[in-house]
Amino acid sequence: MLELRGISKSYGDHKGASDVSLVAPSGSRTVIVGPSGSGKTTLLRLIAGFEAPDAGTISLDGRQLHGAGGSVPPHKRNIAYVAQEGALFPHMSVGDNVGFAMPRQAVDRARRVDELLEQVGLPAGFRARRPHQLSGGQQQRVALARALAQKPDLMLLDEPFSALDTGLREAMRTMVGDVLREAGIASVLVTHDQAEALAFADHLVVMRDGLVADAGPPQRLYERPADVETARFLGEAIVLPSAIVGGVARTALGDVPVRHEDVARADVLVRPEQVVVAAQSESSMGALGRILHRSYRGAQWRLEIDCRDGGVAEPFCVDVPAGLDLKPGDLVRLSVANEAHVFPDSPT
Amino acid sequence: MEKRPGAAVCDMTTRLPVVLGALFALGLGLPALAQEGPIVVYNAQHETLAQEWATAFTEETGIPVIIRQGADLEVANQILQEGANSPADVFLTENSPGMVLVDGAGLFEPLPQDILDQVPSQFRPENGNWTGIAARSTVFAYNKDALSEGDLPTTMAALAEPEWQGRWAASPSGADFQAIVAAYLVLEGEEATLDWLKGMQTNAVIVRGNRAALAAANNGEVDGALIYHYYWFGDQAGTKESSGNTALHYFGNQDPGAFVSISGGGVLKSSQHKDEALAFLRFITSAKGQDVLRDGQSFEYAVGVDHESNPALPPLAGLGAPEIDPTQLDTVKAAELMTEAGLL
Amino acid sequence: MAVSVDLGATKAAKNARSLGSSGHPLILGAAALTGLLSLLPLGFVVYIAATSGWGTIADLVFRPKVGGLLVNTLMLLVLVLPLSVLLAVALAWLIERTDIPFAKFWSWMVIAPLALPAFVHSYAWNAFMPRFHGLGAAVLVSILAYLPFLYLPVAAQLRRLDPAQEETAQSMGKRPIEVFFLVVLPQLRLAILGGALLIGLHLLAEYGLFVLTRFDTFATAIVDQFQSVYSGPSANLLGGVLVLLCLGLLGLENLVRGSERYARVGAGAARRRGRVALGRWRCPALLLPLIFAALSLAVPVLTLGRWLWSGGAEIWRFDFILPALGQTAVLALAGAVLTTLAAVPMAWLAVRAPGRVQRTLEACHSYVGALPGVIIALALVTITVQVALPLYQTLATLIFAYVLMFLPRALVGLRTSIAQAPVELERAAASLGRPPVSAIWHTTIRLAAPGAMASAALVALGITTELTGTLMLAPNGTRTLAMRFWSYTSELDFASAAPYALLMIVLSIPLVIMLHMQSDRVEQA
Repeated sequence: MLELRGISKSYGDHKGASDVSLVAPSGSRTVIVGPSGSGKTTLLRLIAGFEAPDAGTISLDGRQLHGAGGSVPPHKRNIAYVAQEGALFPHMSVGDNVGFAMPRQAVDRARRVDELLEQVGLPAGFRARRPHQLSGGQQQRVALARALAQKPDLMLLDEPFSALDTGLREAMRTMVGDVLREAGIASVLVTHDQAEALAFADHLVVMRDGLVADAGPPQRLYERPADVETARFLGEAIVLPSAIVGGVARTALGDVPVRHEDVARADVLVRPEQVVVAAQSESSMGALGRILHRSYRGAQWRLEIDCRDGGVAEPFCVDVPAGLDLKPGDLVRLSVANEAHVFPDSPT
Repeated sequence: MEKRPGAAVCDMTTRLPVVLGALFALGLGLPALAQEGPIVVYNAQHETLAQEWATAFTEETGIPVIIRQGADLEVANQILQEGANSPADVFLTENSPGMVLVDGAGLFEPLPQDILDQVPSQFRPENGNWTGIAARSTVFAYNKDALSEGDLPTTMAALAEPEWQGRWAASPSGADFQAIVAAYLVLEGEEATLDWLKGMQTNAVIVRGNRAALAAANNGEVDGALIYHYYWFGDQAGTKESSGNTALHYFGNQDPGAFVSISGGGVLKSSQHKDEALAFLRFITSAKGQDVLRDGQSFEYAVGVDHESNPALPPLAGLGAPEIDPTQLDTVKAAELMTEAGLL
Repeated sequence: MAVSVDLGATKAAKNARSLGSSGHPLILGAAALTGLLSLLPLGFVVYIAATSGWGTIADLVFRPKVGGLLVNTLMLLVLVLPLSVLLAVALAWLIERTDIPFAKFWSWMVIAPLALPAFVHSYAWNAFMPRFHGLGAAVLVSILAYLPFLYLPVAAQLRRLDPAQEETAQSMGKRPIEVFFLVVLPQLRLAILGGALLIGLHLLAEYGLFVLTRFDTFATAIVDQFQSVYSGPSANLLGGVLVLLCLGLLGLENLVRGSERYARVGAGAARRRGRVALGRWRCPALLLPLIFAALSLAVPVLTLGRWLWSGGAEIWRFDFILPALGQTAVLALAGAVLTTLAAVPMAWLAVRAPGRVQRTLEACHSYVGALPGVIIALALVTITVQVALPLYQTLATLIFAYVLMFLPRALVGLRTSIAQAPVELERAAASLGRPPVSAIWHTTIRLAAPGAMASAALVALGITTELTGTLMLAPNGTRTLAMRFWSYTSELDFASAAPYALLMIVLSIPLVIMLHMQSDRVEQA
């Protein structure tokens, strides 16, 4: 288990991390996500030991890495680090890269290297290649194999897929996830991509301005985020000010069930997939909105809907089945299905 | 929108071909211009001295002078290679061998009697193809802290003896020293010269340039230096940076070490401006030209008839120099022997 | 002798395909002509060797004096190169990678010695310590004068290395010292080799520095011979030996380097974050750059200052100084413009039409910069005096010599800037009806103009301090700053030489600034 307590780190005026505490359970795949400058990479570097925090303690599986007793240097932490573009050593072959952390005289070195290459989906013939002869995806695979070779207690991944093409990114993500699970190695991955974060994490940490904005299982964070910014960061969010009376929120899009005590004014989160759209001709229930744009998505239309007259502050997008023939300018009826989330720190 | 940082220079590129053409025209035109009007002096004398002469000459006659600087034998050989096409009008040296070399190739214009008459016959060759313009004496500059007068070598030959090992400096690669060796050759013969040079090869600290040799004696690196006199006087008149701790020892007694070397001047047959060139040579051997030697900072001896040298210098006549016909100085042989001795 | 500090950023444009082949013949012809002219000095040496006959060669080359020169030259290389590498790597690492105080300041101080021509360095040392000469002095002054040639590429490479590599290595259990030797040092190899080659070539070519430190090398012996017999067989054959040494050095570097090319894998800017904390070594570490700056800068500056002070107003002979300054400026300007223009066809071909012919031509362009100025001058003196007399002692010949000497310097900069100009513009211009050469001239060359100006400036600065070639080839009446400086210095008139040294230093300061900026830019490249 990785445990950070009260970690602070600043660079001059810029706060990299302020009083961050977080716990990554053993064997978990933790993802730290946040916009650039949120301090997520700082956190990773502090865990790796490349930099020392100004305050706080870091421990891994009960072993203190940084704290009052001093700091364990990075080369003694046994924490693997996979950099953004792999950071392969260009002057070494793929085999030497992967074998870098192994003892030089290890008899089974060549065999181990081949095994690791196979594990990350590369043929053994790649051993003799040079890093510059590899594609971006292959480089990342080698970097992963190299990190696995040291049998780390924890693996840190710093935006490992960001330089890859979209299609490749997903495949790599799946592969990395599988390999880590098989090897039983806990990991902390840093990304700015919320989709990637949701897909990879079993424990998600959202950072903003050097602070942990929210942390927990990804599904919980998506559905019941701690605040509006987190909600917006993790996906499209329609935030509706409303009054809550008897477990029902009175919103501009109609009454929506919520789990919350009565309050005069609260912000309610509605995800677009909860919004039900009907042609005006087919329904007289719900708020009235106007279609501003539509774009074709194959299985769906994505509609941009203006409901400002009905009291929704900003236009929002909703996907509807392709069969629904609604054109820009058409008026539609809007309602909300399922339970909505009330932000805990809603203005009162 | 993207800015265009190169915009200003862009115009340059369009004009470059024009600039290029102009530069080539300039490059080809300049030497042609240079050969119009002014006389070209190939100078191996000290540049400052030649410049003083040139300035005074131009002031008096209005004829501009262009000086090309080089070393005695470099320039002499250059003139030989240029042959009839040499751009040079006048050739000035520090020592005689360079003059002998050019004269041997028949490239000098015989000088009119009025120029020859300005210099006593012992300072010029009999054939009258060139003339002496100044003179310098061999000396042994010694460090006063290292040597007292009793320790001084009585002859130049003594410097090849084992007790002088590592104690004296000289600059054998220069034409100055090669002239001294040529004089030794005339006076003592080939075998003795080679022996002496071999002794020198063992004994002497080899430097490049007489001033460097003097400085070595001055700073105590060696006890003395075999050089020409005017380096010492020049330095004494200035900062004494390289000579403050040294004094001069004249060998005298017609010893090879008392050799007086004659700086020469001649006019080239190929000159396109012979009258002006002769006027220049006439000027530097005249009283006015020789005054530059007496009054200036060169400290070389004046050689004009009855002309006084710089009052700081001991009179030339009293130096006990050996009598040597400058045309007898064979630097080719001297250089051969020096090469054999491993000095070149 | 050309200074082309190749910071390694040069990379041919990816899409090298160019205009229809109709654009080539003219440009190819021009490049071929320049390449052919570049071969002149080498051809001359070969010709001399071939016509001298074995007897002459045996007499003039195989003698103890030449053996001594060879030993001297090799001693110089064997001592200066390893020491410079050690010092350059240590300084670069301290300045680029540690929390040494005033790192930015030191990064300027370490390359500032470039503003002083090598012979000014030895002038200062000669005046500062008159008894300090011989091998020791030659080695010390060479290191002080030439270290920036190694420091610049090494520091640039250190900066360019992806810090993530070292961090990754560390996280894999390697101690910092292991990381340096396993990950950092191997990647400095090319930079070290390139810098060492450049210094090696300078050591072979330099004349003034070794005359003043009283250390005989081939270059000084050739000039000695030249001054004894002008263009004679002895000087020419020594020149042949010197050319062999240069080619040997080039070959050796090529051999050691092999076919290795390190490229940064992947794209994106490498961010350098933390610097190594030196802890209690932080202040002692200051000693290294401090001593280097004291020896390479304080000694010359103080000595020069002393001479300027003691010389007073008397040494400012403006009637000599101003013409020398003017002549130097004209030569530098004309040489720079022509050199840059001469390099354009080759640079364009190198980027747009790489291939075997182009590589051969480029080798012709580049090798000539490795030849000492004394060889080029010797060749041109002999050729003009014997077969092309109308060109003898002309400005044209002198400038031609400069073009040969500094061609590679211009080529490196031009190639980089042409590579940055998109080839599409040439095509667009051609499709708008421009004839090919005109299309190239008005698009690529125009866009490359700022880069071309920078490399022209580098050439001009090189010419400003060029000594041997100018001494031997200058038209009658030419007295450049370097020539005046040299004539005073060789008479040990240090005070009178001081203003010329000062002017050359002032003129060279832009060189330092440009190289510093160029090396800074590597960070973003």
